[in-house]
Amino acid sequence: MVLNWNIEVIIDFIVATLGIIVTVISYYSPKSKKITSLLFMRFGWIFFWIFLLFDGLAFLFINEVLAVFTGLLLIPTTIFIVIGVTYTIKETFYSKGLLVISGLSTLFIYVGTQPGAIGISLEAGYLRVDWIGVFNIIGIFFTSISVFYLFFWGLKTWVNSPILIKKEASIFFIGILFICPLGLIFYVLYLFETLLILVSDIMIMIGALIFIFTLAREPKLLYILPFTIHRIIVKDRDGHPLYDHDWSETNISEAIFTGFLNAVQLISEEVMHIGGLLDINLEEGILILKESKNITVGLVASKTSKLLRDSVIKFTDDFERKFERELKNSVKDMSQYEAAFELIEKYFSNFPYKIIKSKKQPLILTGKYVKIPLELENKLRKIFPDEEEFETIKTELIRSPLSFSSEFAKFYQELKDEIKKISDENIKYLDEN
Amino acid sequence: MKTQILSKPVGLEHPNVKRVIEIAEEIMSKNKVLNLETLYNIAKKRLKIPRNGLLFIIQLLINKKILIEGSKFSRETVLSNSIRNRIYRYIILNPGVHFSILRKKALSEEMGSSGQLVWHLEMLLKFNYIKKIKVGNYTVFLPYELDEMAGRILFILRDRINNKIIHLLNENKTVIKSDIYKEIDEKREDVYYRINYLLDHGIITLNQDLDSEICINTNLNDFFIEILDTSKSYTKKKLR
Repeated sequence: MVLNWNIEVIIDFIVATLGIIVTVISYYSPKSKKITSLLFMRFGWIFFWIFLLFDGLAFLFINEVLAVFTGLLLIPTTIFIVIGVTYTIKETFYSKGLLVISGLSTLFIYVGTQPGAIGISLEAGYLRVDWIGVFNIIGIFFTSISVFYLFFWGLKTWVNSPILIKKEASIFFIGILFICPLGLIFYVLYLFETLLILVSDIMIMIGALIFIFTLAREPKLLYILPFTIHRIIVKDRDGHPLYDHDWSETNISEAIFTGFLNAVQLISEEVMHIGGLLDINLEEGILILKESKNITVGLVASKTSKLLRDSVIKFTDDFERKFERELKNSVKDMSQYEAAFELIEKYFSNFPYKIIKSKKQPLILTGKYVKIPLELENKLRKIFPDEEEFETIKTELIRSPLSFSSEFAKFYQELKDEIKKISDENIKYLDEN
Repeated sequence: MKTQILSKPVGLEHPNVKRVIEIAEEIMSKNKVLNLETLYNIAKKRLKIPRNGLLFIIQLLINKKILIEGSKFSRETVLSNSIRNRIYRYIILNPGVHFSILRKKALSEEMGSSGQLVWHLEMLLKFNYIKKIKVGNYTVFLPYELDEMAGRILFILRDRINNKIIHLLNENKTVIKSDIYKEIDEKREDVYYRINYLLDHGIITLNQDLDSEICINTNLNDFFIEILDTSKSYTKKKLR
């Protein structure tokens, strides 16, 4: 049997093999191994690489049955990509796109099994096994659905990405641009110039590799669109805050937020029990509340999510375990619970931070870390003996105009002298109304 | 997520975290603008740690509230401090107020020390939200836009006995000096002290024909009515 080796077969085999290897390797990335949505997308890509492999085999053996089977592989490819994107954004499998694909799949299978779906022709100097007619049109349509889904998701992810992962989001979007529009354009153009299918394959391969690698390295990209997590707070049974962590800016102070949690907890005592979990709808988000033996954990996010609820449950259990001794001894000092940052990293590391809005956003160091001349520090310490107040003033000092500290010291002395002078007066003048 | 550079548990005691804080301190001490870009670029160059690790450290510092959003104060941002804002509003409502009253009413001991009150006052002065005038031994604070003379009179009127004297004179035009303390039912020495004070400051004058009688300085008569109205409408306008 003579094999129909040609450039298209070779490219198909290279791209498919490389794609399968990369997709399988990316599965073992510890950061993204257990992410369901990514798993669906990986399945989508694996089917796409198998599609290319069978495309090459159909050409190699000039086999019409293999060519039909190749076309039908677009069904699982598209279904998994669409489910992957939908699940990423909405944590659900269902979407209108999936309904359309399901309907079309039946038609695609029917058309594919009819005579005249495949034709063999000599093009670009070698024999090709082409899809023709309606089978070809539906095939192109299937491919287009996946790439459009990826494109719009990628675009929205890139636009909404926070500054800390903007670079990764840009690389990710460049990858998607290779797939759509570049890959898609060449895929459509191949109808007019056969060899352009090779360019399309290469474009899609480059794009897919970038796509897979970026997501494996930075899974935070998957959680830019579904929800924003604002804050988590842990308090003990007496209502004292023990730990507080922000992902994005909220204007709620620690005291107000803890007070709010206490109030909610009191109201919901009847529906809550130890180990219980409660979702409370707020005007602009959701509060996920988890009760355990010694603590209550509250997480504020833009909307509820199974993933978030699971993360809160696991975080709460681990917090109880990690700080068992402190909780037993009713330690209230928040600094004793700072190591909970590790638990945040363990359970919430995939959710992006949105506190920094721009690279140019001005920052300052808080009082404790601000270094000021010793003489000035001694002077200020005399005026502000309370440590907390002293640090607040130091934070303000760093933001003040240059000559401010000396003017303040002078003014303080003036007022001090004035008060003394006034208190020595016989008649108290400020006999207010 | 554990970045490769952070072999020790993440925390403020980690050497790389400490070094990033030092770099931030250095930038600020040179009076340069500290922002993510500057801090990242300088730290990246010096510490040679991977991008993700460095961003992780900066994020940690922000979360621990060691790095906070903010820049040098401007006139727009200086009132973002709630205590300062409260003091400013008190001065708007009570133009001509003295430090000791502010201490009692605008920033009580539980809320902060005298030093803190002086700090906020100096800040408000620096950014032209308020101004200070000296009336006798007293440093008096008034909204920046308010006329100094008006502030002086408002301060004087804040004294209960002064207020009674002025009202009496306003109603009767001239009053015999020695009768005033009886008319307003106050101690003689307290009233005499104030009459002398008001005379010294030119608020009241001795009657040209009869030395024993006093009256409101005619030059200030209209001014009195005007500033009282002005201060009321000014306060309303500012608080709207």
